[in-house]
Amino acid sequence: MRNYKPFFFILISLCGVCGYAQRDSITVLDEVILTDVRLLHFSNGKVDVLKDSIVDRNGSSLTDLLQFNSSIYLKENGLGMISSPSFRGTNASQTAVIWNGININSQLTGQVDFNTIVPRNYGSISVRSGGGSVQFGSGAIGGSVHLNDVFRFDKHSEHQLLVSYGSFDTKNFNYSTSIGTKRTTVGFGVNYLVSENDYKYLGTDQRNENGAFNNINVNANVGHEIAEGQLLKFYHNTFIGDRDFSGTITASSNSNYRDYNSRNLLEWSHFNEKRIHRVKFGYLYEKYKYYDNKERESFTFGNTNTFLVNYDYKIDLNDIILNGIVDYSYIEAKGTDIENGKRNTLATTLLFKHNLGEKITYGANLRKEFVNDYKSPFVYSLNARYSFNSYHSVYFNASKNYRVPTFNEVYWILGGGSGGNPDIRPESSLQAEIGQTFKKEKYTFQWAAFYIDSENLIQWRPNNDGIWTPINIKDASNYGLEVSLELAEKWGNHHVTWKNSYALTEAVDSETENSLMYVPRHKVTTSLTYAYSDWRLFYQLFVNSSVFVTSDNSESLSGYSVSNLGLSRGFKIKEKLNIETSLQVNNLFNKNYQNVAYRPMPNRNVQLKLKIKI
Amino acid sequence: MKINKVSVLVAMAALFVVSCSNDDDGVVIEEVKGDYQNGILIVNEGPFNNGSGTVTYISNDSLLVKDAIFKLENNEDLGNIVQSIAFDEERAYIVVNNSHKIHVVNRYTFKSEAVIEEGLLNPRYMTVANGKGYVTNWGDSADETDDYVSIIDLNANVVSSSIPVELGPEAITSNSDFVYVAHQGAFGQNNKVSIIDASTDVVSSTLTVGDFPNSMQWDTSGNLWVLSGGAPEYTGEETNGTLTEINTSDNSIVQTFDFETTEHPGDLSVEDDTFYFGMSNAVYTFESGLDALPTEAFLNNVSFYSMTVNDGKLYGTDAKDYASKGDLFIYDLNTKELTNTISVGIIPGGIYFN
Repeated sequence: MRNYKPFFFILISLCGVCGYAQRDSITVLDEVILTDVRLLHFSNGKVDVLKDSIVDRNGSSLTDLLQFNSSIYLKENGLGMISSPSFRGTNASQTAVIWNGININSQLTGQVDFNTIVPRNYGSISVRSGGGSVQFGSGAIGGSVHLNDVFRFDKHSEHQLLVSYGSFDTKNFNYSTSIGTKRTTVGFGVNYLVSENDYKYLGTDQRNENGAFNNINVNANVGHEIAEGQLLKFYHNTFIGDRDFSGTITASSNSNYRDYNSRNLLEWSHFNEKRIHRVKFGYLYEKYKYYDNKERESFTFGNTNTFLVNYDYKIDLNDIILNGIVDYSYIEAKGTDIENGKRNTLATTLLFKHNLGEKITYGANLRKEFVNDYKSPFVYSLNARYSFNSYHSVYFNASKNYRVPTFNEVYWILGGGSGGNPDIRPESSLQAEIGQTFKKEKYTFQWAAFYIDSENLIQWRPNNDGIWTPINIKDASNYGLEVSLELAEKWGNHHVTWKNSYALTEAVDSETENSLMYVPRHKVTTSLTYAYSDWRLFYQLFVNSSVFVTSDNSESLSGYSVSNLGLSRGFKIKEKLNIETSLQVNNLFNKNYQNVAYRPMPNRNVQLKLKIKI
Repeated sequence: MKINKVSVLVAMAALFVVSCSNDDDGVVIEEVKGDYQNGILIVNEGPFNNGSGTVTYISNDSLLVKDAIFKLENNEDLGNIVQSIAFDEERAYIVVNNSHKIHVVNRYTFKSEAVIEEGLLNPRYMTVANGKGYVTNWGDSADETDDYVSIIDLNANVVSSSIPVELGPEAITSNSDFVYVAHQGAFGQNNKVSIIDASTDVVSSTLTVGDFPNSMQWDTSGNLWVLSGGAPEYTGEETNGTLTEINTSDNSIVQTFDFETTEHPGDLSVEDDTFYFGMSNAVYTFESGLDALPTEAFLNNVSFYSMTVNDGKLYGTDAKDYASKGDLFIYDLNTKELTNTISVGIIPGGIYFN
């Protein structure tokens, strides 16, 4: 569970942004406790850890969290509806979401709906920029988002209750607990969010008529040290969502969408100072039901079952770290439009890292998959980092990455004028990135420049017979620059932190040289926090510049900025009882904006929160 | 995802769309009645998930092109998936499928006169007969039994009643006595033409034609020709396209021409007694007196999203990638030369002459 310290959040946020910077202090036990070890050792690029205080503010959906706190561009079909990311100008299926080390992108769509991930009860959330298909598999092209549970092996017992109420009859209830001893630990969190979501469309006399939603999210984990050098861990996550899907300004909707996701992972590790063996068993289930007219009984559905077995062996040879992974997965998909989709994948991965003296680290990573229904490319990455000193380093990496064809793309039943394509190939990309980091006590400055050359991008188009089918049609190149600056200062009881990021992104269709749709050239985020004693005031803002909404760049959607303002106060009632109350105003300046054309986002709204921690 | 499926289906349905421009009032009017007199109107469906369709005006000499004229005149979006236009005297009725409404405008000025919303559910095409409007509606797309034709009171601009019909009413046309409805089958499949008596507003008879009837045109002797695409290969039971002639004096089938099983024609258009249709990446012609279908193409290597002929010219559209502005191509029917290429709106699905 998150180790929440309400009054010391600034100190926490001073503790560094870059995952790599912390690795030196990691012990073997720490490492075994952490499941997503590839993020730790084999991600020699830009990794931003989102701190507890940030997750606290924007913790009810991954969309909310990342649009205010990362360079990822998100587009939502109205608040709470389907939300898809564009990371470095790539498409929605080119961002991987990694849950405790496992890729959880939908096998049906290739994407994760960022409104179905509730970040609040994860111990650690990181955003890793750049290609990572070798380490994290399909879809890690623009980058990946990592959700990790954190185990605490010490004697503790903590409970936290959060209730909030806000505009549009939005209620949030969250309970989380973490109990542990030196050998056993249990974490549990449940979050329930419900909203009428009937905000008015600014500048019209319409409201968001069919936008009500609710979701339940459960996180649970158990860790037990079986014997010296042997650890057993179990992770679980369930998400149940029920959403009426909003219409648009020009067309009302009466549809409803229910989805259910269950993720389970059992991991056994056996380790000593030099070697770690891990065996993992995973089971993932996803299901959706779509009611085109919610008044009626009829619906369409799809579901997939994923079974996976993973063996991971890591050896530490003084300055060299070697990690070999063999991963087998069996996936089956069924649905109204999918019949008997089955996929067997055997993936082999070799990761290598070498610390060449104190200043230079470099690595090489290889992955090859053997899949029954398409040909998977050999992917690789190379990286190097040079540290001038403890606070200043530069890095370079290059990689080949891919996104596998989804079950919809391969197995969609031919009928009604559309059908899957059994000859579809994976999307692939080559990319390179350089970056630099300065990290001192009071500031962190980072920049990164990237170039991605993608080919065989998949789009649905009518074929010669007029049947809509996915084809590998488009090549694109993306390039850009990301800059971030964080400042922190304190004077006595006054603490100020100021986090800023700016991303310049160009994504261009290689054939037409038009910009890709829904990629803003500029994105800015900023967040300023001032704390005095028990009081805390924050202001956060993100700005997206205009995006094209047609592929020939003939029409665009104007840019927008959205600001939130929040004030909170903590009370220490007894030795072990803390209460925090807060008021948050979202869309402070009541901006009328859309991030998908014709789908307005909410007007100004408020949220009241009460948090009790024992 | 279902959303994608819906888009795909909607887009697919649109592929079968024919321009039902059977309006006999193409008389040249001398006095200037508005900016959009004497020109071509292109109905652009617009992007399928979200957004608005538009109407593009092109002057007869193709020199003046105005995009989104409804919005220009009324500062309002037409709505999602603009399907078709019907005309009656000085009015134009713009049918908007996914917004379930019809905008009534002055056809020459494009100023809005009324909006009909009540009583429409997935409206497709409209015709006017006996002083009333008749609109095909798919009803709820998940229900194959609730399809209907709504009747519009053209004075009050409201739906006055509705007539339940078979699955998938699509193209609709009329003479002074009867209204003819081609049942292409919506998201399913059908092979019927319903005939509505315009005096009693009941379905007086139903004829069986080929599978997927997609377009209808009149010859100069007042007979109705129905073109059916036939079931495409993906249905699992591919059937041939057919061209059916209906004698409208007794509403009986006069003759039926069968295409090859793999031939799926669409977009029946007519000038005088010469029919044109698109098939297998080509355009074919057929004279109403002939006793066999053509074997040679009239125009090769063309594939239009929507096609029609008018006054010695052939008009065809290209929807490109369905997410950018489409093109209108104009061919001279005598020389078969491409004379103009004009950029229009997103997914240009209908071509009309004002």
